[in-house]
Amino acid sequence: MSDEVLKNLKKAVIEYNAEEAASWARKAVEEKIDPIKALDVMTEAIRYIGDGFGKGELWLPDLVGAADAMQSAMPIIEEEIKRKGAKRESLGIIVIGTVYGDIHSIGKTMVATLLTAGGFTVHDLGVNTKAEEFIEAIKKYKAGILALSALMTMTAPEQKKIIAALEKEGLRDQVKVMVGGGSITQEFADSIGADGYNPTAPGAVKLARSLVGK
Amino acid sequence: MLKGFTRKFKPLEILTEEQLEEIHRGTLEILENTGIVFHHEKALKLFNKNGCKVDFEKRRVYFPPGLVEESLHKCPSSFHMKARDPKNDLRIGGNTFYFTSACGMKTIDLDTWEPRVATKQENYDGVTILDALDNCHFLTVYCPYFGFEGVPSVMAIPESIAAKIRNSTKVQAEGYSQDCEIFNIKMAKAVGIEIMGAFFASPPLTYYEEAVEAAFRYVKARFPIYISSGCVYGATGPATIAGSTMTTSAEITAGIVLTQLIKTGTRVVANNYTFPQNMKTGSPAFGQIGLSLHNVAFNQIWREYEVPVWNANYCPSSSKKIDFQCGYETAIGALIAALSGSSLVGLHGEIYGELSYHPIQSILDEDIAGMIGRFVEGVEVNDETLAVDLIGEVGPIPGFYLNKEHTRKWWKKEQFVPKAADRLTYPEWMEKGKKSCLDYAKERMDEILSTHKPIPLAEDQDKEIERILKEARKYYKEKGMM
Repeated sequence: MSDEVLKNLKKAVIEYNAEEAASWARKAVEEKIDPIKALDVMTEAIRYIGDGFGKGELWLPDLVGAADAMQSAMPIIEEEIKRKGAKRESLGIIVIGTVYGDIHSIGKTMVATLLTAGGFTVHDLGVNTKAEEFIEAIKKYKAGILALSALMTMTAPEQKKIIAALEKEGLRDQVKVMVGGGSITQEFADSIGADGYNPTAPGAVKLARSLVGK
Repeated sequence: MLKGFTRKFKPLEILTEEQLEEIHRGTLEILENTGIVFHHEKALKLFNKNGCKVDFEKRRVYFPPGLVEESLHKCPSSFHMKARDPKNDLRIGGNTFYFTSACGMKTIDLDTWEPRVATKQENYDGVTILDALDNCHFLTVYCPYFGFEGVPSVMAIPESIAAKIRNSTKVQAEGYSQDCEIFNIKMAKAVGIEIMGAFFASPPLTYYEEAVEAAFRYVKARFPIYISSGCVYGATGPATIAGSTMTTSAEITAGIVLTQLIKTGTRVVANNYTFPQNMKTGSPAFGQIGLSLHNVAFNQIWREYEVPVWNANYCPSSSKKIDFQCGYETAIGALIAALSGSSLVGLHGEIYGELSYHPIQSILDEDIAGMIGRFVEGVEVNDETLAVDLIGEVGPIPGFYLNKEHTRKWWKKEQFVPKAADRLTYPEWMEKGKKSCLDYAKERMDEILSTHKPIPLAEDQDKEIERILKEARKYYKEKGMM
């Protein structure tokens, strides 16, 4: 039965079915299935979609559809992990979001999905995210990487503000900051003291791996 | 006033009357029953006072169809716009259209084709070149570059408008961000010109506070407004051309209602800045022919509404180089925009969408504009052009037309002569160094920069522009933004 539930959970993510994914996640909790295993099958599903995307067989709507399905199941599984005090092996914990004043989500979602597929635990705060929301999430999830997106020239300086806020909170040494988005360049990333920049979503995964020494 | 180009034949249309009606009904349905969010308290109150149902908590406005149609009727179907030099004034709307420049975040290096931030000199030179190009009638926002070296991001727009005012006497549009429209308006008024203010929706079905505040300011300054949806269909609008054309229209129409409520008769342009989604990269899919279908449908709808249209999205290229792809994508998109009746057609200078710009591209686009302009003016048929008498006089071989006065008079009117295209024979081409259009464009750029001197501002006007820029810097410093 447990195999059946996990198989269906994975299938729901692969078939972009958010309702089914949440429903099978609830079923997994009811059946007392190890939540780490549930998380693993969802990660496998995302990796499958991510690989297809990388090979040019799948497209952005597939990537975003799978990410949405996983996001709908995620809180249910996370809650169970927390309740059981279980620990999941992952390359690292990442908090990601598009900065305040900027509502562009696509690039950020691509990066978040591929990071998940790449073995990271990713907490996506969405768009138009204020510095204090990033700080709060870093503390809450004990994140090792903060990934910031800004598409517009006007909102790029917000990334600098967030780094300043990390310093003020005494968190800067604990968190590696990676930045990206249409208006960001390596020079800009260097000038604001970011730890890394990459212009592409697959490149962002390589960057995150290098930031955690993997 | 600039003549622009006047289309002498029926515009290209792709929607049947039934399809037009369906899109119009759908637009009204969205506005009345789904509603549009306006993150702006004053706007919500204004809508409410004028008969819209408003959910103040959700900031959502539901528009009665009567108010929508009344607002569309209040927009002038064509209007005058004042340039720094009266000979460059425009009358926007009707069957006449003008080419506008495009813009880019960065310039490109012509050896490596890599993008980089432009210098101040390159920004000013880019404006000078647009000022010199006869077929570029209007300078767009953030043009040529979204800021240049040494300019903090909050000053990008004020510095951009200052450069355009100083180095060009043509009509221009300008954007908004972080209150910069206050300074844009002051600069325009200081030199006695009008600028077309931007008012952008944030699809789906949302207007943010900054955009609405800018609209209030531009309308109160009695400037014309262009309203744009900027939907990326497949992401912030339905993936279908019909669906996204409808949501784009609904978003723009909601903006129009607001402008007409602020001041009846405000001059507006419906700007199509919609793109399909590139389903691999997450960027807009520049160079997609589907976009031209979108533009033709959009232009047909807005012609029905009698509101002038700007295809600022005419179909920029997805190429990173000035090459064959860049040429065909740009030319096909611009031609279709012009044939389908856009009042303003975005064109000059853009390479990879709005991400890069180069003045050499603007010189090449000048020839595209010339070709399209010649095409839309159609075929003149009268006694003189038919030349029945002349044909009788010349007769069969050895009759010959090259030596006739009629030929000298008419050939240049009938043929468009490009300035940067290669039109040589093989022997001439080899003798002259096997040049391509790119080589000719480079030469033309050097020639323009060494010979074209834009009419300078009067000394006191220039000082006033500088004073306003200083005031803007102070404003942003005090706000801790630079």
